[in-house]
Amino acid sequence: MIEFIILLAVGYFVGSVLEKKHYKDIKKRERKTIHVPIISFGAKQAIPEANEAALFAGSVVVSADYFKMFASSLRNLVGGNVVVYESILDRGRREAILRMKEQAIAWGATQVVNVRLETASIGNQASGGKGLFAVEVIAYGTGIR
Amino acid sequence: MVYKPKEIPEDVNVTPIHPLVNFANLLGTVVVFSAMVYLGLGVVATQLVTRISPEMEMKIGKQLLSSVKTTSTESQSEKLQYLENLLTSLQAPDFNTAIPLTIHIQKSEIANAAIIPGGHILVTTALLEEAESENELAFVLAHELGHHVARDPLKGFGRSLVFLTVASALGMGTGNADIVTLTGSLTNLHYSRQQESAADVYALEAIVRLYGHGDSSLDFFERIKTKDKRSKLSSYFSTHPLTQERVIYLRQVATEKGWQMRGEVTDLPDRVFD
Amino acid sequence: MTSRSSRQASSGNSGIIITTLEGVPGKEIIEHYGLVQGSTIRAKHVGKDIMAGLKNLVGGELKGYTELLQEARKEAVERMIEQANFVGANAVVNVRFATSSVAQGAAELFAYGTAVKVQ
Repeated sequence: MIEFIILLAVGYFVGSVLEKKHYKDIKKRERKTIHVPIISFGAKQAIPEANEAALFAGSVVVSADYFKMFASSLRNLVGGNVVVYESILDRGRREAILRMKEQAIAWGATQVVNVRLETASIGNQASGGKGLFAVEVIAYGTGIR
Repeated sequence: MVYKPKEIPEDVNVTPIHPLVNFANLLGTVVVFSAMVYLGLGVVATQLVTRISPEMEMKIGKQLLSSVKTTSTESQSEKLQYLENLLTSLQAPDFNTAIPLTIHIQKSEIANAAIIPGGHILVTTALLEEAESENELAFVLAHELGHHVARDPLKGFGRSLVFLTVASALGMGTGNADIVTLTGSLTNLHYSRQQESAADVYALEAIVRLYGHGDSSLDFFERIKTKDKRSKLSSYFSTHPLTQERVIYLRQVATEKGWQMRGEVTDLPDRVFD
Repeated sequence: MTSRSSRQASSGNSGIIITTLEGVPGKEIIEHYGLVQGSTIRAKHVGKDIMAGLKNLVGGELKGYTELLQEARKEAVERMIEQANFVGANAVVNVRFATSSVAQGAAELFAYGTAVKVQ
């Protein structure tokens, strides 16, 4: 029981510090890369004149801390919004988009078109087991210059 | 089509609620709900206990007994016979015999006695070794008999089942509410204080009916106070706590009802106990 | 069901046009603001999970989970629209949905599209 509370406390404090740090980093990088547009269309819409196009993908795996996992197991009993995991997915998406964007910017892209996002759960919690909860987010699109 | 870079100022996709507040809400809901379920099921179990048929109880008992190790060697058959006779003489004239009582001797270093559903009384070898008179042994048997009459084993069984279910639903327990896992804690079934003292009073009444007095029957209790902690006896009373209070209460009841607490002590038969 | 929930959502949010097309028919896109996204993760209470487990024996629609995903989709769209409001768009085009089962008994619904201004 004591071990369990220690794990919860460590998970909560370390987890929230890391999350705050990550969010700060994400926001900074988002501001830095905001001049390059990313759009989710481009296949049929007339795209701007460009010389070159290339595929860019960014992916990330984010895992939840022990506290979040326990809170979600309680939520599973009660039902409703699993708010503790929202930040995990939000961080994952923004990070994946940023990685894609940063690669494209390094290449010299003026915009990234036809962006698609995919999410997959990697943890074994989805298959009924306990332990790891992690999501993989992949963002991919076509950079043009 | 021009691009206007705009920052999205708020984290729309993350609900603005403090994780600890959220956690407290969840924990509160789960705890309150479990408590309601626990209490509700306790009431249901109590209701069920009075309605469960003797056949059903015997079936449950049979299943439970299959996972309890008992010894039935030749040397013990005399003891069993003696204990069964003692048990029969303790029963009140209006005793309901729908469920036949059986005594099983369990080989153990720990002095203990327990009753499980289906009228199976488990007595450990250590308890038999520790007994100094028939009266105190009779008290232990009558106490278990009292639990049986009040159908306490079934009640205790029903609740512990609920506990296990809640624990495994939360993923904190052993994970399987297996019947064998249940029997692991079976000899340590916890009865409420009311159930314990009701069984005590029942036992003392039976003792007085049989011997005409309650002398020596509380010797197990009295000895535990003087004996050192490592005694085998102490373990029996550690699962039956509040020794001191129980003795005081029993003496009080005896005075109120006018039960004689002095009399001749019956020795254990030498041919059975060497 | 999809169209109804998204229409409900859009009508409650200053009439932002939501479409899976690359543009709004009959209107011209004059400005675009990048991706907007909305996501939500939901779980049903344990009773519904048990019911679904039982229903799973015979097959057929799992009403509890259909409901779960509908609610989640509605909320995801609402959140996406909220983001579109922040950037001052009046339409979200090329909207895509993605579902994933992130944890046992919990599902995530994710909606994303490009926020634009049409004439």
